[in-house]
Amino acid sequence: MQSLNVANIGGYLDPASGEWRDVPGTTVEMVPAPLGLQPTDYIIASWQDRPYGEVESLLASSVHDGNRIAIRLDWASARPNTGAGEGFPDAAAIAFPVRGEPELMQMGSEDAPVHFLQWMARKNMVRSVLATGIGLSVTAPSIAETVAAGWSSGRWTVVFTREMSGTSDVSSLSPEKNSQIGFAIWNGANEERAGIKAVSPAWEDLILRA
Amino acid sequence: MSSKQVAMVIDLNKCIGCQTCTVACKTQWTSGEGQEGMWWNTVATAPGKGTPKNWENMGGGFRNGKAQPGKLPKQTEFGDPWEFNFEEALFSGDQHATLGPVGEEPDWGTNWDEDIGAGEYPNSYFFYIPRICNHCTKPACMEACPRGAIFKRDEDGIVLINEDHCRGFRFCQEACPYKEIYYNTVSGTAQKCIFCLPRVEEGVATACSRQCPGRVRFLGFLDDKDGPIYKLVHEHKVALPLHPEYETQPNVFYIPPLAPPSFDDEGNPVDDKRIPIDYLISLFGPEVRQSIEKIKAEREKRKRGEPSELMDVLISRNWLDMFGPFTNQPQDVAKTLEERARG
Repeated sequence: MQSLNVANIGGYLDPASGEWRDVPGTTVEMVPAPLGLQPTDYIIASWQDRPYGEVESLLASSVHDGNRIAIRLDWASARPNTGAGEGFPDAAAIAFPVRGEPELMQMGSEDAPVHFLQWMARKNMVRSVLATGIGLSVTAPSIAETVAAGWSSGRWTVVFTREMSGTSDVSSLSPEKNSQIGFAIWNGANEERAGIKAVSPAWEDLILRA
Repeated sequence: MSSKQVAMVIDLNKCIGCQTCTVACKTQWTSGEGQEGMWWNTVATAPGKGTPKNWENMGGGFRNGKAQPGKLPKQTEFGDPWEFNFEEALFSGDQHATLGPVGEEPDWGTNWDEDIGAGEYPNSYFFYIPRICNHCTKPACMEACPRGAIFKRDEDGIVLINEDHCRGFRFCQEACPYKEIYYNTVSGTAQKCIFCLPRVEEGVATACSRQCPGRVRFLGFLDDKDGPIYKLVHEHKVALPLHPEYETQPNVFYIPPLAPPSFDDEGNPVDDKRIPIDYLISLFGPEVRQSIEKIKAEREKRKRGEPSELMDVLISRNWLDMFGPFTNQPQDVAKTLEERARG
């Protein structure tokens, strides 16, 4: 997918903003995260006969202004689940390789971590997370991440933003080098959480236009 | 498996269902935000649906060593915390006002089916069954957690949840076949009985054990041959785990209830089998037969004036003998800790 260069991403923070109409989107095929990769026997036993990760695709689009990048996801969701009380929230994540060549499906490894931003419909919050494998994630440094989300007519639209500069645990993004991005979607109504999710099966190229 | 394992034995022949243990635990541990509906200790009437409602049909645990799917218990199945009309009943001056829950009429709560039991009069029966986290030797909760947020301490076998790692995924709640884990919707984490860890570490018995007016709960290490736990579980083999078929190897054990007599149509007592043995087997496994026979035989010995170590342990004339190495007085420990803090 491509990230268009705009003067200022300020007009793109709202996922319903008309500015996004002129930004071409990329359809990303999604698949259920493999059952065999789930980290515990219990999770495998309890989900082997239960469908999950049924979001077949999402539409991803992006703009950047040289300092910050905005990434908009748009996917079908019959109804919004905020996970109020004891429910599980709808959620989405965008992932970036930090160093080395991490396997997206494996959530990276100790030498090749994956950084991701996760939005959850509960409290409409975003978390910056560093993963070094399945079930091995810790809070990552803040990169001034923000999120805005809305649900209408059977679709969630979510805009993540972050600084393009990185840290030792967050990959920097720039027009000078090709980057990669991965995606995950959780359907709260189906009690999806942790590794029970829909994922993009491989890294997508993320090309930032100069 | 831990190097050492604390354990509890609960004598169902002595429990009177007073809920003092429940309240001791509640005031000690679960008065925080989001814990309003949490009861790390419950006492339910058996037979009954228990807490959460129908927990024995919710799955989890293991079968032939394989993890079994479980149902996620809902807060309504544990019982929503009720609001009470304290203002009206206690301070309004209306002498006819009675204390009771307000709002939507509740239809379930912990101990909801108290004293209902089963059987037809005059052969109806019930007994009380206190429950806490079993601090299992093979904890299904621990094995289910994808984040490794649940651990079993090597020094005492207590199973704890690291809430800094917990993300509230609640696979543990599903996997625990005893449904002894709660979800705190405010903190977004799973919480459960901690076997009064801060007390036990200072040699003080658990709150539920110390506060029990019936001297029902024994404490100690499983391998302490001089302690009550070893004697009841391993030596006399009368204390049994609840639902051993769940294969988690619980470390809370029960002295099964001896039954009162059944009556014939004329009202004459005919036997002492009013609690169906099949029901007890469904709770404690087939070993419950030997356990009951052993207790009955030892009782008869005492009736004949003969000595019985088992009866002496169960009667527990010396209160502190019930608690193995956990005999320190809380007030003494508090004083020591204060002095330590003052340097």
